[in-house]
Amino acid sequence: MEARRMLEDCLELWRNPYPRLARLREEGERPVAFFCSYTPEEILHAAGLVPVRLMGAVRSITHADAHLQAYCCSLARTDLDMALAGELDFLEGAVFVQTCDTMQRLSDIWRRNTGYPFHADLVLPVRMGEEISLPFLQEEVRRFRRSVEGHLGGAIEDDALRQSIRVYNHGRSLVEKLYALRAERHGLIDGLSAMACVVAGFWMKKEDHNRLLQELLESLEGTAPKDDRRVPLVVSGSVCTTPDLLELLLELGANVVEDDLCCGHRYYEGLVDEGVAPEEALARRMWSRVNCPAKHQCLEDRASRLMERVEESGAKGVLFYLQSFCEPHLFDIPYLRKRLLEEREIPSLVLESELQSFSRGQLRTRLQAFLEIIA
Amino acid sequence: MDRKEADKERRRIKSTEPMRDLMLKYYTEAKAAEGTEKLIAWITSGAPVEPLICFDVIPVYPENHGAMCGAAKMNVELCEVAEAQGFSRDLCSYARGDIGSALTKGGPIGGLPRPDFLVCCNNICNTVFKWYEELSRFFGVPLFIYDTPFVRGELPQHIADYSLRQLEEYIGFLEMTTGKHYDEARFLDVAAKSFYSTELWREILECNEHKPAPMTCFDAFILMAPIVTLRGTQEVVDFYQGLLEEMKSRVEQGIGILPSEKHRLLWDNIPIWYEMRNLGRIFMELETCLVADTYTSAWTYEEVDMEKPMASMANKYAEVYLNINLERMADKQAALAERFQVDGMVLHSNRSCKPYSLGQYDLAREFTRRTGLPTLIIEADHTDSRWFNRAETENRIRDFVETLLA
Repeated sequence: MEARRMLEDCLELWRNPYPRLARLREEGERPVAFFCSYTPEEILHAAGLVPVRLMGAVRSITHADAHLQAYCCSLARTDLDMALAGELDFLEGAVFVQTCDTMQRLSDIWRRNTGYPFHADLVLPVRMGEEISLPFLQEEVRRFRRSVEGHLGGAIEDDALRQSIRVYNHGRSLVEKLYALRAERHGLIDGLSAMACVVAGFWMKKEDHNRLLQELLESLEGTAPKDDRRVPLVVSGSVCTTPDLLELLLELGANVVEDDLCCGHRYYEGLVDEGVAPEEALARRMWSRVNCPAKHQCLEDRASRLMERVEESGAKGVLFYLQSFCEPHLFDIPYLRKRLLEEREIPSLVLESELQSFSRGQLRTRLQAFLEIIA
Repeated sequence: MDRKEADKERRRIKSTEPMRDLMLKYYTEAKAAEGTEKLIAWITSGAPVEPLICFDVIPVYPENHGAMCGAAKMNVELCEVAEAQGFSRDLCSYARGDIGSALTKGGPIGGLPRPDFLVCCNNICNTVFKWYEELSRFFGVPLFIYDTPFVRGELPQHIADYSLRQLEEYIGFLEMTTGKHYDEARFLDVAAKSFYSTELWREILECNEHKPAPMTCFDAFILMAPIVTLRGTQEVVDFYQGLLEEMKSRVEQGIGILPSEKHRLLWDNIPIWYEMRNLGRIFMELETCLVADTYTSAWTYEEVDMEKPMASMANKYAEVYLNINLERMADKQAALAERFQVDGMVLHSNRSCKPYSLGQYDLAREFTRRTGLPTLIIEADHTDSRWFNRAETENRIRDFVETLLA
C-alpha cells in the first residue's frame, strides 16, 4: 500500500476507532480494553487476547453522570458512558492500571456496573525507579498474570510471553525509527500523520500494526522530503482523543515535531529486556521508563527531559494539551512553563479540553496568537 | 443567666477550651521553632507521625492549616494567589491555599513555619505527592514519600512488605536528617501512646451511640485536631482522657449536644470548613444530629499488635478509609449506620477530593440497598467556597430532613 493511503487509513481509525474494534470481535478476536500506557499488554497478548486502548470519545454524557461527578476527567466519564450505553459490548473485559485517584475509583465503578466477563486491576507504586518499590511492582505483575490466567482457565506459557515481548519490542523499535527518521529528515512526514500511525496501533492487532509501520518506513525511505517552513512545536500531555488539534496546527502553519504524550512517545519509549525472566523484565520497563506525571520519580526529571526534547527537535514552542480536572498534569504546569521560559526562552501555551472537544473558533484564535509570539 | 442560656452552657463541650490551648501552644511553639535548631517537618494528615515525635521533630500539617484557613474564610484569597501563579482552579483547594500561604505568609496565623523537610504519604490521595513535590521545589528541602498502594479486599502481603520496608527506610531517613540514632525504647513508647490515644478517640466517638448524642460530628471535626497532629505525645493522651470523661459524664446525665434530637444522620467526606457554623445551625433547627462520620474515624485503629508495633503500624497506615475499594467503604458506612442508629446519610461531594468523592453516587445507592435508609448528596468543596451554593444546599437539606420518618 502506498504511504498516503496508509496514513489516511490511520487517520480515519483515530477519528473513530470503535467500528473497527467491533469488527475485531466479529472476526473472532477477543478485545480487552486498557486505558493506561503502563498496562503490561504483552501478558494479554500472550493469552491470545487483543489489548485495545480506550481514549475517550467526543460525546455528551447520558449514563455516566449517575456514577461520576462532573469534576471527574472526561476520559473516565466518556469511556464509562460508552460502556454503560452498551456501545462497547465487543469487549471481553477491561484492565485497570491504577495510575491516579480517578482510575482507582473508576475500576470499582466499572466492575460494579458493567457485566464484562473479565476485569483486572494492577496497582502501581508511585515511587517508580527507586529500588524499594521494585519487588512490589514485580509481584503486581505476577498477580496480574495470574488473574489473566484465572480468566483463561489455563497457564500462559513463558515461551508465549517471550514471543509477545518480542512482538511489542519490535513495534517499539519501529516507532523509534519513525521518530528518528522524522527528526533527521524534516518535511518527510508531518506531525499529524506520524501521530496517526502511532496511535493506530491501539486499535489493531500488534502484528498488523508492526507490518503497517514497516511498510510505511520502507515507503518513506524512498521519498524525498518536502521543504518545511512550518513552525516546529512539541506537544506535551496525556492523550489526544481526536486528531483535531494536530490538524488545526497544520492548517495554521505549525507542525508537531516531537511529543511528550502517553499516546505517543511515552508509550513507546524503552524496550523490555529479553534477556531476563519475562515478569521481571516487564516490571523493570514500567519502573524505569519515562514516567507519567501521576508517578513520582525525581523532582527535576520532567522539566529537564522536556527541555532536552525541545532542544533536540528544534521546536520553537511547547503546547500543553490537558484534560480538565487531571490533577497530576495540572500540578506540573507552572514549574514546567517557568523553567522552559527562564532556562530556554521557550514559550508555551496550555490548552485544556473537556469532553475532548474545544470551541474550534476560540482554539484557533489562541493558537494564532501563540504562533505570532513565536514568529 | 436565663434558663435558655443555662441550658446552652450545660450542653457546651467544655473540653473545647483545653483543646484550643493545646493547639495554640502547639502552633506557637512550631512558629517559634522556625530558624532555630529544632527541626520542622511538614507532613500529610494520613502519614505516620510517630517517627517524627520519636526523633523530636515538630510536625506541621498543611491540611490542618488549610482547614483553619477555610473555617476563617481566608482560603479563597490564598487559592487566588496560587491561581495567579498558574495553578489550576481544578486542583485541590488545600493545596492551592497552602501554596498561596507559602508565597504570602497569609492566613489567620500568618502562615506556617518553614519546613526543614517534608513527609508525604499517599494513603489519603495521590494529590499530596504532587503538592509536596511543589513544596519541595519551592522550599528546596528533601521530600520523603511513604507510598501506600491502593488496597482491594484483604491487605495483600506484598503491600504489607513494601509498607514495612518504607517505614524502616523512613526511620533511616530521619536518622540522616536529624543526625540522631533511632531509639527503639522511645519508639515503642511513642507508638504505645499513639495507639492508646486512637483507642481513646474511638471510645469518644462511640459515646455518640447514645441518644441523645453528646456531640455532633462537627464537634468531632474540631476535637480531632490533636489526634491528627500530635498523636504519640503524652499531652494528647491526657487531653483525650479528659474528653472521654466529659463525654461519658454527658451520656450518664443524658446531656445531648442539641436542645432536641429528633433525627440522627451519618456524614460522609471532609467537612465544608467555611460552612460549619451555618450548617450546624440548620441541623440544630431541624432537630437533626450528625452523630457519626466516615472522616474522624480514620484516626481510630482496632486490633493493634504491640508485639510487632512497626508492622502493625505499617498495616494500619496502608488500610485507611480512603485507600480501600468501594465495597469495603460500603461495609464501613453500613456498620456505622447500624452502630449509631442513624436515619440516613449526608454525603458531601467534595470537588477537591477525588478519592473521597468519586464513587459516592454508587456508595449512596449501595447504602440505601443495604440499610433501607435515604441519602442526600451535596455538592461543595472543602475550602473553596466559590463552588458552594448556600441557598440551594440549605433548601435541599430541609427537604431531605422533612422526608425522614419522625
